[in-house]
Order: sequence, then C-alpha cells, then structure tokens
Amino acid sequence: MSLLAAESRRDFEIHRFPLLAYVLVPLVSLVLQAWLPRVASPYDWFDFPLVVTVYFALGRRNPIQGTLMGAAMGLFEDALSHHAIGINGIAKCVVGFLAASVGIRVEVDNHTVRLLLNFGLSLISSAIYLFVSRFLLGLTVEWSWLTELFRAIGNSIIALILFPVLDRLQIRD
Amino acid sequence: MESFLSRYRNLVVLLAILVAQIVGLAIQVRRTGAGRGTLDPDDQSGVRLIRLWANAVISPPERIAHATKLGIVGTWSNYIDLMHVRQQNKNLQETIGRLRLEQAALMEDARQGQRLQALLGFQQKYIYTTLAAQAYGSSGSDRSHVFYIDKGARDGLKPDMAVITADGIVGKVRDVFPHTSQVLAVNDTTSGAGVILETTRIRGILKGNAAGQLEVVGVTADQRIKPGENVLTAGGDLIFPRGLPVGVVQKVVADPDRDGLIDIIVKPAAHLDRLDEVLVITATEPRFSPQEQQDMATSEQTAAANDQMKASSIMAEKLPGLIEPDVPADQQPLYDDSNPNPATRPPQPLHPDRFSPGAAYTPPGVEPDPNSNAGIETPKSSERPAVDGAGPPAQPSKSTKQQQQRDQ
Repeated sequence: MSLLAAESRRDFEIHRFPLLAYVLVPLVSLVLQAWLPRVASPYDWFDFPLVVTVYFALGRRNPIQGTLMGAAMGLFEDALSHHAIGINGIAKCVVGFLAASVGIRVEVDNHTVRLLLNFGLSLISSAIYLFVSRFLLGLTVEWSWLTELFRAIGNSIIALILFPVLDRLQIRD
Repeated sequence: MESFLSRYRNLVVLLAILVAQIVGLAIQVRRTGAGRGTLDPDDQSGVRLIRLWANAVISPPERIAHATKLGIVGTWSNYIDLMHVRQQNKNLQETIGRLRLEQAALMEDARQGQRLQALLGFQQKYIYTTLAAQAYGSSGSDRSHVFYIDKGARDGLKPDMAVITADGIVGKVRDVFPHTSQVLAVNDTTSGAGVILETTRIRGILKGNAAGQLEVVGVTADQRIKPGENVLTAGGDLIFPRGLPVGVVQKVVADPDRDGLIDIIVKPAAHLDRLDEVLVITATEPRFSPQEQQDMATSEQTAAANDQMKASSIMAEKLPGLIEPDVPADQQPLYDDSNPNPATRPPQPLHPDRFSPGAAYTPPGVEPDPNSNAGIETPKSSERPAVDGAGPPAQPSKSTKQQQQRDQ
C-alpha cells in the first residue's frame, strides 16, 4: 500500500499551487457556503471551507499553513454569522493542524483515505465547535448529532468530487 | 529555548492562534446572572469591523452568483415556460377587479377601527412604509439563521426594522452595512417576537428551535389550541406591527423544561428557506397608493352623502317646520292661544317716585331741574302711553282686548 510504503515524510510530495489558487479557491468556497444553503435548504449538509482547508492542509503538509488557513476560513464564517467571532476559527484551525499533521505521515491521494479523513475531521470540527460554545463560553447551543453526521457524510462526498478537480490546479514539475 | 521553539514550532503557532481567538471570544461573551454566557447583541467596534470586512469580501461575488441564478431562472420563466399565461392573466385581472372593490370596503372598515382605537388611546401601527430588498446570501451555517439583503444604511435601513413578505413575517434587521444588511430570521434560536393565536387570543413568545422550526414557547396548556389555528404578531415587541401573519399551529408538544407548559410548533407563513424578495418596514406612517387614495375618496364621499341624506330625512320626519310661509298666523304650527293670562307690559306710573321701577331717588326739598330729566326716565314719545289724552291712543293688543272684555 502506498501509505505504508513511505518510510519517511520526505517521500511524500508537497503539492504546490499558483498564488491565485490560494486566494480564489477559499474565496469561492466561502461564497458557495454562504449562497448555496439558500438554494439547497434544508439539505445544506456541507461545509465547503472545511473541505478546502483539509485539502490545502493535506496537500501542503505544513501544520502552520494548515492552522493559519483554517483559522482564516473559520473567522470568515463566524463573521458572516451573528455568533461570536472565533468559534469556527478555533475549530477549523485545529482541523487544519490535524489534517497537515496527518498529511505528513499518510499518503492522501487515495480516495478512501480522503473520504475517511474528511468524515473524521468534520466530526472533530463539530465537536470542537460544541465544546467551545457550550463548555468554554457557556452559550446555550441547540445541537443535533444527526445533522452533524449528515454534514460529515456530505463533506466526504464533496471531497471525493472536489479534490480531483483541485488536483488539476497543482503546479507540476 | 530556541531549540524548544524550533522543535515545537507547529504546536507553538497553533497554541498562539488558539489563545488569541479564545481571548477574542472572552471579550465578546459576558456572563449573565444565572452563570450562563451570552453574546452582546450590539457588536463591539472591533467585531463589527471584522464583520464589515468579511461582508465586503464575500458580498460582491455572492451577489453576482445570485444575480446569475436570477437571470437564468428569469430567462426560463419569462421567455420559455409561458404555458397558460394568457388565461392566468385574464383570471388575475378579474381577481384584481374584485379585490379592489373588497379593498375599498375593508379600508373603510379599517379607518373606522382606527378612529375607534384612537379614541381608546391605543397607539397602534397600521400602515407601513416598506422598502423592497433582494435576499441574496446566508451565514452558511444552519446554526445561524441569518441572511443578507441588498439594501443597507444608504437606503435608510436601521437595526431592528421588521422584515416581512406578502405571506408573513421573516425577521428583523440585525446589522446594517453601507450597501447590505444582515437579517436575523425568526426561526433562529436567538430571535424573539410577540405573537397571539387568532382564535383563542393566547399570547406567547415566538422563537426558533435547533431544527430551524418556529415555536411559541412557555404557553400554559390549553385544550382549545388546535392545529391549523392562525398565529399573528401581537405588536408588543416594538419590532413587528400588530396583526401580521406568522404561520399556523402545526402541533402542540409538552415543554421539556417546565411542567404544565407547552410549546406550540408553528408552520411559518413565509417561506423562510426560499426567500427572494422581502419588504423592510422602514416607517409606520400612513401611505396609500394613488389608486387606493382615489378609492378611499370615492368611498368617503359616498358615505358622507348617504349620511347627510339619512340625517335630513329623519329630521324632516320628526321635527315640524317653525314658520310655514303660506299659512295664516293663527294657523301656524307654533301658534298658541291656550294661555288665559298672557304676559302684559306693566302700566306706566302717573307720578313716578323713587319706588317706581327705573326711577332714581330725589331728596325732599330739592326741586328737580325742569330742563333736566335727571332722576326720572321719560319714555320716548313713541313709547309714551296715551293716558293724558294727548297724542294718538295706543292700539290695544289682542290680550289687552280680551282682558277688557272679561272686566266688562
């Protein structure tokens, strides 16, 4: 198996993208996240910024970059809502850090790995959101784990479709 | 130290960013008396600035996406999908004609109701000035039921203005940016509106639940509450005017937190998930369209003319005329000779003294000045009674004649 074959983190390729991709892809994901729920409601079980954060963190394999991108995406999402700014920021920067840390150790071009990673990281993001809002800040948050499960499944499916498309943006030597 | 930082650089950066965000959250959230955290409804300047930046970045492409979608949908529905439109148009024209007649009658009733309530001292809001806006975006999170509209502070919008559609209430303006505004939908868990059940007149507070449904919370259990009953705004929250449709009762469930109380699940009248055009209530002064004004004027004139005719006919039936010009004096409706002692003018004294009515007192021994009439009122020649035989005798009145006949 490819993920077991690599003996060193150096064996994995670090994906590079044009600068415009680093700006436009997150921007498009934020716009879609803000706009699509109006079209797809009530079946809006997706989180485009999370999927894009995971993709770049896995591809770049740099925890700091993953953390920064996750924080930026989460803060943008918080700013568009009417909730406190920082809850999604914390959740997604942890997700970016974890994704990049996993990317260092695991070959992530495999579709199954991508699917499982997105599913797991979506649930982790939801759990962190719940922890921060309910236990850290003491806010009253209504919660449905079934919705979070659907969202994790939706994110995994989107990742399966979106990752190959984004792979085409890579700079290849 | 340097080796520690370089070795755990990733973790240090992660922790630094986490701590920074936690500090930021601590600034935004404050503790209530019950020990729970709550968000300040009014954003601080820094937080508001971040929201403004995010809105400025996301809104333009989002509006382009929305306009593109509208263009495609409009092209389809306006130029391609036009089956049966002519028949629908004819039916609608007929409906409009009928509704205009009904509207004129209803407006007259409404005006009468307003006058009566003004007499009772109520300060209610009836007719609204609205601004149409296009809903184009959302928060992107099902935990935050807010959406964005394409009108902002430059269009005169302010926080806490009510947002409605023709079907019912939608939410209230929460945050206003120069060209856009954020609207908090009524089905958000942090929203609230005073509502009343139309038939049973039971009041309650409308909120959103975790599933995005509307519910009236904390209502005392009542058997009369049945599914299908209309829910209206109560008008006591200073945001939504009274009487706007909210939805219909879908079902009644027991309040999970408090015994004896129920929660009423409400099916919203407005399609909260599929909002395109919304109306923002910007003022509550009366404002009628020219057609409505014309209808009202016509209705008012007709009503006034009817009232006047009705009043004059009643007067003519119940009250006689005071003077009939073509009838002799003794046959006039008000002619009355039934009194045997009619009031007569008192006779003038032959030698007026100080006790005579209207005479001034003259002390004894003082000769009155013959040239002056001081002290004695001398009647004018025309009014002087003919007692001394000088001058023409006064014509006796009818009553005097009768008196003389009785004396003889």
